[in-house]
Amino acid sequence: MAVCIAVIAKENYPLYIRSIPTENELKFHYTVHTSLDVVDEKISAMGKALVDQRELYLGLLYPTEDYKVYGYVTNSKVKFVMVVDSSNTALRDNEIRSMFRKLHNSYTDVMCNPFYNPGDCIHSRAFDNMVTSMMMQVC
Amino acid sequence: MSVPDYMQCAEDHQTLLVVVQPVGIVPEENFFRIYKRISTVSQINVRDSQRVLYIRYRHHYPPENNEWGDFQTHRKVVGLIIITDCSSAKDWPQTFEKFHLQKEIYGPTLYDSRLFVFGLQGEVAEQPRTDVAFYPSYDECETVEKRIEDFIESLFIVLESKRLDRATDKSGDKIPLLCVPFEKKDFVGLDTDSRHYKKRCQGRMRKHVGDLCLQAGMLQDSLVHYHMAVELLRSVNDFLWLGAALEGLCSASVIYHYPGGTGGKAGARRAQGSSLPAEAGNRHRPGALTSNGINADTSAEIGRAKNCLGPEDIIDKYKEAISYYSKYKNAGVIELEACVKAVRVLAIQKKSMEASEFLQNAVYINLRQLSEEEKIQRYSILSELYERIGFHRKSAFFKRVAAMQCVAPSISEPGWRACYKLLLETLPGYSLSLDPKDFSKGTHKGWAAVQMRLLHELVYASRRMGNPALSVRHLSFLLQTMLDFLSDQEKKDVTQSLENYTSKCPGTMEFITLPEGLRLPPVPFTKLPIVRSVKLLNLPISLRPQKMKSLLGQNMSAKSPFIYSPIIAHNRGEERSKKIDFQWVQGDVCEVQLMVYNPMPFELRVENMGLLTTGVEFESLPAALSLPAESGLYPVTLVGVPQNTGQITINGYHTSVFGVFSDCILDNLPGLKTNGCAVEVIPALPRLQISTSLPRSAHTLQPSSGDEISTSVSVQLYNGETQQLVIKLENIGTEPLEKLEVTAKTVNSKEKLYGEFLSWKLEDTLSQFPLKPGKIATFNVNIKVKLDFSCQENLLQDLSDDGISISGLPLSSPFRQIVKPRVDSKPINPTESGKVGDFSHVKTLEAILNFKYSGGPGHADGYYRNLSLGLHVEVEPSVFFTHVSTLPATSTRQCHLLLDVFNSTEHELTVSAKNNEDLVLHAGECQRMAIQVDKFNFESFPDSPGERIQFANPKQLEEERQQAKGLEINSKLDFSLTLIYPSLKREGEASVEGVLNQLVLEHLQLAPLQWGDSQLRKVVLNSCILDCQFISTEYENLLQRNQNKPAVHLPHAGLLYLEKTEN
Repeated sequence: MAVCIAVIAKENYPLYIRSIPTENELKFHYTVHTSLDVVDEKISAMGKALVDQRELYLGLLYPTEDYKVYGYVTNSKVKFVMVVDSSNTALRDNEIRSMFRKLHNSYTDVMCNPFYNPGDCIHSRAFDNMVTSMMMQVC
Repeated sequence: MSVPDYMQCAEDHQTLLVVVQPVGIVPEENFFRIYKRISTVSQINVRDSQRVLYIRYRHHYPPENNEWGDFQTHRKVVGLIIITDCSSAKDWPQTFEKFHLQKEIYGPTLYDSRLFVFGLQGEVAEQPRTDVAFYPSYDECETVEKRIEDFIESLFIVLESKRLDRATDKSGDKIPLLCVPFEKKDFVGLDTDSRHYKKRCQGRMRKHVGDLCLQAGMLQDSLVHYHMAVELLRSVNDFLWLGAALEGLCSASVIYHYPGGTGGKAGARRAQGSSLPAEAGNRHRPGALTSNGINADTSAEIGRAKNCLGPEDIIDKYKEAISYYSKYKNAGVIELEACVKAVRVLAIQKKSMEASEFLQNAVYINLRQLSEEEKIQRYSILSELYERIGFHRKSAFFKRVAAMQCVAPSISEPGWRACYKLLLETLPGYSLSLDPKDFSKGTHKGWAAVQMRLLHELVYASRRMGNPALSVRHLSFLLQTMLDFLSDQEKKDVTQSLENYTSKCPGTMEFITLPEGLRLPPVPFTKLPIVRSVKLLNLPISLRPQKMKSLLGQNMSAKSPFIYSPIIAHNRGEERSKKIDFQWVQGDVCEVQLMVYNPMPFELRVENMGLLTTGVEFESLPAALSLPAESGLYPVTLVGVPQNTGQITINGYHTSVFGVFSDCILDNLPGLKTNGCAVEVIPALPRLQISTSLPRSAHTLQPSSGDEISTSVSVQLYNGETQQLVIKLENIGTEPLEKLEVTAKTVNSKEKLYGEFLSWKLEDTLSQFPLKPGKIATFNVNIKVKLDFSCQENLLQDLSDDGISISGLPLSSPFRQIVKPRVDSKPINPTESGKVGDFSHVKTLEAILNFKYSGGPGHADGYYRNLSLGLHVEVEPSVFFTHVSTLPATSTRQCHLLLDVFNSTEHELTVSAKNNEDLVLHAGECQRMAIQVDKFNFESFPDSPGERIQFANPKQLEEERQQAKGLEINSKLDFSLTLIYPSLKREGEASVEGVLNQLVLEHLQLAPLQWGDSQLRKVVLNSCILDCQFISTEYENLLQRNQNKPAVHLPHAGLLYLEKTEN
């Protein structure tokens, strides 16, 4: 259901990015890249709020004609960005939320791998499979 | 209304629009000079009040926009200034006619107009006119500003009268309905008497008055009017005008809250009157605006704070206004401009999220079909606005879209230059700098796919701009920094196009300065190939300079007070600057070894690869190499010749790959291993080349104690043979050879060697010195091999047993005792066993001749070079003395030495001894020869001194003694056998000292006691000091066989038997 899922490092470079229509991958790169502006803005706005009660889910970052872009940021400032087809109205905020949570858990597993260097691109097969499953789910 | 003004901001609502235009032929340069001067008068304090008028000047304004002047009065052209060039009075009427024509265009809205005539002098210019000003030339027009000020004042008067007129109009019965161009047809036939219509008229007029008040500098009044207009219009659902009233309210509030302006660029303009807005800006001071002029009918003083919108409200009202505008398709421009204005306000309020929503909305506002130029402008302004709210990525995105729009296929003349310029501006948004240094640290982190796309576009744009140097630079940068992200196919494509470009314009190491002032740093290809280690190589051993006096203390320089400290050893920072402990020599080829590898999936051709150095003039000899696809580490040696002396530092290397020249500095290379980059270059030294008369040896000597042999020669000799080795010393350097020292060292001499192995006379050679470059000197060395001639194991049968035979006797001589264990160990040690006993075994002798030489300036500095010549001598056995015995001669002072000589060679051999006739021995033949020799005395026979035994190896000691004895015997015996090989025309010498065993020696020895005269039976004690005990016991043994001999008893020494001699 997601058409593009990206993991962005704290320093705003991609750790992982995958999209389904692979022929126009670059477009999604642009979409995710520009969405970081909004993520940054939201994070800096949140910085004023209490750290403990911070909501990791950032909500809809911005809608485009064809897609909706959602964001999620971990406490270590790693960002998840998900691009969803805007025609897919069945997808509620709650589902998006739970997808992000799943993604976060999977990312945590990647980080737990002692052979993974934080900051490197993610090549984990388990993570990949999980992302695929999230993209494949038909609603 | 179709042309949006993207530069609009909220403050523009308070300005009066004045159009400045040229008429006739006015040079553009001159026009803009005047235009600039006019523009400086943008703010006027009206004479009799504290109100301020703001003027907006335009040199282009679409008349259709003017038609919206009633809707928002700041869109109305109220003033017109015409600038014209008129050289003669004849043209004057025509010019004036043109002025009137121009006035017609904006006619209905103009309050006033002016004509500035340049170049006209004389009668016409004399007549005083208010609307025309004459200036002799563009340089003499000091009064322009004054004129403009007057003009603005006249505008103000009209404005003020209109305002008052309209403001009081409401009491009149008929209020005209103001409307926008597209509304006109809608109101045809409408009931003009209805309450609804009247209210609409009222509301619109209120709003209009509000606009006028705002323009006239009466902010508070305008607020009141706007509020009233909003109420009126809301009640009649006149949405378009309601939107305008709301926007007016917002504008007035923004002007109140943000006196600094929201346009950003307008800072300079505001600064002029900064004293006033600064004061007004402080909204906590209620009295701040009291001085603002005629307060007329409004009770502004009380309602001030209430009337003005708060910052939050401004945005809400803007939102509302925009939502109303959006109901009208024809008001798209108004909506768009309102969005832009709102964004500017939000940018000041630092509310980026809301601003982005407004912008997002603006993106979707569909105006009529835009021209390409307008699209570019639109995208650029979007980009600028995103930049302003801190959305750099979004800004870069739109800027890139604008750039692409510049070269859209529909454009007949693509603006590659503009496209390139815009693309450059997007770089920061994609966190891409064009300096490769920023990428050298660690792995690349960024949006590679996006960045690569941008770089490709830069390459393409710069190529189409007709700047190949620029495209080469960008393409090199792409290749260097994005190498890890390029697929194999892309790598191929990129390099191919790079080669195409460089064939026209090779890449250089120079900075490229763009007209915009940006400097593109050079891109050295440090990854093509990747260098993993740099190692400075020492000179080959034969050329290595050595210090005459090795001052030990000098090496341990005074860097640290500690003799040893582990901290220094682990200090990695010093590693690179560390000086290397060897030296290079001026004028000699020096080498640096690099380990490189090729990351490309194809063969990489690196041309012109050489070293970059500082410190010493260095002639680098470039190399070309070709690295196979994805090669492993590949050693490359770069060479060069230092031209003078001092400390040389290897800074890096230069290459030429795909036509791009790169200077790679080692300090910038990540993960580089090096053993240090600085090395001392010492003055030039001569170079010696050695050639000998002997063939070169394939055999290599085992280097002992660090000596390395540059050349080695071999020779085959028969035991006992002597040969002369002629060594040619050639000075192949450029410096004279002044000093030469020769030393020889025998290595692995397990063989017992008699006599001097190598001997030479250096004086003969030194007489030819100093050796000029290119000259040859000769040096002769005599090689003499004299090994043991004995046949220790006695494998051959004794020929006869005449006389006293000692072979095979179990003797108690110390020598025998020592040798015995070695023989016993025969099966265990095959090499040694081979040496012992096997006649056909070829023995080898090896020696090293060391030539220490020096000369030239290097010699003056105390350096020398060492050249080693290895000498490998194979010694073939010649003759063996299979049996040795003695026969007494007629005199007691003499005796006969019987030698069984065995020829083990394959050649006929002649043996000659002094006074004897030659003995011819055929191959494998054995004959006995008898030689008469004088008996002799042992002198100073080295006793085994007690102390030395304790710590010296007994075996060594024994050998030492044997050697000394052998020498002595040889000298005493004073005879030698000359071996002549007639068939080979070679000859040698054999000696017997090694074969004489103890028993034979005793026979050769003069008796310790001599009967001086047999008649007197006088005992003469030999002059030498003897160990009496030793002699007595030996003699006892010896003489026990001759029982009938007399004996003498010596005190403390036991019995000494005496033999009576015949004479």
